[in-house]
Amino acid sequence: MSSRTGVFSSSVGTKIVIGLTGMALVLYLVVHIAGNALVFFGPTVFNQYSHLLLSNPLVPLIEIGLVIIFALHLYKTVRMFIANQQARPVAYVRKKYAGAPSRKTVASSTMIVSGLWLLMFVVIHVTQFKYGAEYEVDGVRDLYRLEMENFANPLLVGFYVVSMLVVGSHLWHGIASAFQSIGADHPRWTPRLLAASKILAVAIAAGFVVIAVWAYVHQAGRVRP
Amino acid sequence: MTLDGQVPSGSIGDKWDRHKFEMKLVNPANKRKFTVIVVGTGLAGASAAASLGELGYQVLNFCIQDSPRRAHSIAAQGGINAAKNYQNDGDSIYRLFYDTVKGGDYRSREANVYRLAQLSVNIIDQCVAQGVPFAREYGGLLDNRSFGGAQVSRTFYARGQTGQQLLLGAYQSLMRQVHQRTVRLFTRREMLDLVLVDGKTRGIVCRNLMTGAIERHAADAVILATGGYGTLYYLSTNAVNSNVTASWRAHKRGALFANPCFTQIHPTCIPVTGEHQSKLTLMSESLRNDGRVWVPKKQGDKRPPEQIPEDERDYYLERKYPSFGNLVPRDVASRNAKQVCDDGRGVGDSGLAVYLDFRDAIQRLGVGTIEEKYGNLFHMYKKITDEDAYRVPMRIYPAIHYTMGGLWVDYNLMSNVPGLHVLGEANFSDHGANRLGASALMQGLADGYFVIPYTIGHYLAGAMLPKVTMDHDAFKESSDRVQRHINRLLSVKGARGVREIHRELGRIMWDHVGMSRSEQSLRRALSEIPKLRDEFWHNVSVPGSPDNLNQSLEYAGRVADYLEFAELLTLDALERRESCGGHFREESQTPDGEALRDDANYTYVAAWEFTGVGSAPIVHKEPLNFEEVHPTQRSYK
Amino acid sequence: MRLHLKIWRQAGPDAAGRLVDYVADRISPDMSFLEMLDVVNEALIRNGEDAIAFDSDCREGICGMCSLVVNGVPHGPDRGTTVCQLHMRRFKDGDTITVEPWRAKAFPVMKDLVVDRSAFDRIIAAGGYISVNVGGAPDGNAIPVPKEIADVAMDSAACIGCGACVAACKNASAHLFMSAKISQLALLPQGRAERYRRVLSMIDQADAEGFGSCSNEGECEAVCPKEIPISNIARMTREYVKALWAAGR
Repeated sequence: MSSRTGVFSSSVGTKIVIGLTGMALVLYLVVHIAGNALVFFGPTVFNQYSHLLLSNPLVPLIEIGLVIIFALHLYKTVRMFIANQQARPVAYVRKKYAGAPSRKTVASSTMIVSGLWLLMFVVIHVTQFKYGAEYEVDGVRDLYRLEMENFANPLLVGFYVVSMLVVGSHLWHGIASAFQSIGADHPRWTPRLLAASKILAVAIAAGFVVIAVWAYVHQAGRVRP
Repeated sequence: MTLDGQVPSGSIGDKWDRHKFEMKLVNPANKRKFTVIVVGTGLAGASAAASLGELGYQVLNFCIQDSPRRAHSIAAQGGINAAKNYQNDGDSIYRLFYDTVKGGDYRSREANVYRLAQLSVNIIDQCVAQGVPFAREYGGLLDNRSFGGAQVSRTFYARGQTGQQLLLGAYQSLMRQVHQRTVRLFTRREMLDLVLVDGKTRGIVCRNLMTGAIERHAADAVILATGGYGTLYYLSTNAVNSNVTASWRAHKRGALFANPCFTQIHPTCIPVTGEHQSKLTLMSESLRNDGRVWVPKKQGDKRPPEQIPEDERDYYLERKYPSFGNLVPRDVASRNAKQVCDDGRGVGDSGLAVYLDFRDAIQRLGVGTIEEKYGNLFHMYKKITDEDAYRVPMRIYPAIHYTMGGLWVDYNLMSNVPGLHVLGEANFSDHGANRLGASALMQGLADGYFVIPYTIGHYLAGAMLPKVTMDHDAFKESSDRVQRHINRLLSVKGARGVREIHRELGRIMWDHVGMSRSEQSLRRALSEIPKLRDEFWHNVSVPGSPDNLNQSLEYAGRVADYLEFAELLTLDALERRESCGGHFREESQTPDGEALRDDANYTYVAAWEFTGVGSAPIVHKEPLNFEEVHPTQRSYK
Repeated sequence: MRLHLKIWRQAGPDAAGRLVDYVADRISPDMSFLEMLDVVNEALIRNGEDAIAFDSDCREGICGMCSLVVNGVPHGPDRGTTVCQLHMRRFKDGDTITVEPWRAKAFPVMKDLVVDRSAFDRIIAAGGYISVNVGGAPDGNAIPVPKEIADVAMDSAACIGCGACVAACKNASAHLFMSAKISQLALLPQGRAERYRRVLSMIDQADAEGFGSCSNEGECEAVCPKEIPISNIARMTREYVKALWAAGR
């Protein structure tokens, strides 16, 4: 049985790819936030951790993998978005939320917007950190200092906070949706999974916000640019 | 013309098997050389089109809806009978045959009914194989329930959506053939004429309802499976687009119309709320197991039901039929409801309803039990009437439900016009004067899956069918006729909408040719119908153009046919001076007011020949012989 | 009741459409929504105007023919209800009601509120069946089907093919419709033999028809008159994965 479009480009195949790549990205975020949380333990711990990470020969490979996953997620969602727009060439004059049990939310309706915002955010974020100033302390890169310096800027902190709310919104629909997209559904477990997904979305967003705000408050008065 | 039912000789149990052997066959390689038109995609039409496609015929399948799956078979709720005897309760093919002949009040053709009972068994097997999700027992085997007063449990069901599931099974088989290109589907097409060449059916002319184009389609045989004519009465449980047009146009080309007066009225429907009402909704008959039917004793008593004391209530079914009480058959229950309403004791705003009261059952069994048994029905009732039947009695009234009459067919399901076959509700053959519950689905599928695949081959193999093209004069003549008719409808440009006239026709039919018919009422209808037909052709308003989707025009064509057909139905009712099944003649009743059959004079099928609009049709009689089941009078006292 | 209606009028498939204002007067709360439209149409016809075209047939919620978006929701505000079973008592005197057709590339508007849903038929034709010819079926009780399975299959089989799911979906996706049939036939032992072929060809056909993909919002489930849940869509995805797995083997 051959498909006209290729198995991962069909409307169902596309969902599976988006769901799986989305899940991988969420997994990455969880690791990311756990690492970032070490910032609370001071510069030594944080820098040691980042050194350990950066000196691991597997990390560049993982980074490449991550870039591919990110790109795939982006490519598939944008393509799907365009195809979905084409599926309804004439819009309704009046369209309303259909009510329960619909899971439609502001978050679910703005996935493409939140997603593209995050694309922009990631570019800025990577430029500022991965390719930011190369301070050194005790023979390792001083990312702690970089972070503190960056987050001393209230405008940037504001941008980060907003972006993390966007992440929260994206994940509010995205995590739960990913399970449905790969066909994971169970009469008893699905409701719990939906709730847990939302908790995780809030936790991730809140975690990043707290780190950025903490860094700003912590550094206030010390490292003013 | 002598009507030959072509019933094979031999004992009742051997007729079909022997006939199958004796019929001519079409060589497998030759089947694709034959084109067969199937009009209709309900249980009979879809199953016929699918089976003929599977055999290798070229099938052209037509329906008026946007998809074959919409046909009104889909609305059947209860179930389908089959003599499987899975319950070990003494059922057999013979018993199903016996019950059906008796239920039909001895006005059906025995051999057809026996074959129906035989095939019932195969239908269930076929449908299960198609994936129809019939109700199951915990052990995984098929569940049955009893239905329509039968003493055995032989009804197979899929919740309250048996018709839907059976139709979708047939529809899916049909779509499989469409995919394999043995069947070509023509949706949103309405058949408007039958085309005969050298006395044989060779095609149809239809209107493309989307574009308005008049299309010609040639074939070697035509199968009509276009359902019944319940919407003649305007309000019925039928879909609003159900109509008699295909059958009637075939009748006008020579096909005999048999027993049109046999109409079935279902006793438990939600009553009419006003002039605006477009259709009636059926509530399952099972409600009469626990509900008590009553009306106030006093005429015009407008008090709310809870304020009417017990001794001022008339539980008229229990009073008149102490042994059957509220469980008398459909026709008896319906007729009595009409009588009390005619007597001025009907309830509700319209006065055209009786109470079906669950108060006593709730007291006896508790709300929980009633909810468990009838919850979905109470819910549906609430949705439509906004009344809570747990607190106030339901209001019910009879409604036209099914029509046993139809085009005359022989044992091979072929009409008197060679090549024109008629299946399902559109034919007359299996239900006599009254249809039992859960047997309409059985007949539609038996005809389509298991009868026509054999008999059509017999016809095609034996007929001389030279090639006919669509520019043959007969096609041209036919499409001109159709075009003229459409132009005529559009050119009246009067002041009254079609719906208004249809409503009026329905009222005439319901009042005078409804549940209870008399010489006087029928004669009155016969004088009013032509007047209304005249009014239609002088004063109807059909806006819009013929060359695109024009629902007013479609409707006008159907009502125009009803205005002719109504006269035939009434005449048939007038000529049948006996009461039988759904046809109750006031002149023919027992001293205590029950239906009285006249077997000596009316044990025949009245098949009518068209002679022109407004001109008296000619009746041909096919005598009915009952060799197996001997007629007896029914009593429910 | 007196109501202000804004109804989509469109002369034909290629014509431009627009909302036209009508007043429906003397409407009884007992009328169904379609009977209210009948009344509006009768008045139009009496004036010799072209009636508003809309599809309906059984008017008891089972044929799937009726298809109106009422105030932005397919089949209107009542849950588990087709628009033919929606009653006017649900509205208030003086309300303004917008009525639009289903909107999807795969459901082109033919006229006014009538759309062409033959794409659904083609999806079924692509594989929404069990390939058994008439005649050779084994006894109905030859294959036991556990009651629990039969019941879930029946839940899925209840689909009436109205297309409200497509109409409600922001992507005009046919996933709920397709998955209901795929689920029914995959759950039943009779349908197992060709389950993989079926899921692949039906999805392929739906994509070719121009339906969108699924964003897991579940608007479809909320408007479905038979309340068919999106767990069917998840099951369809699993069937798809299994089919790919089987094809690779």
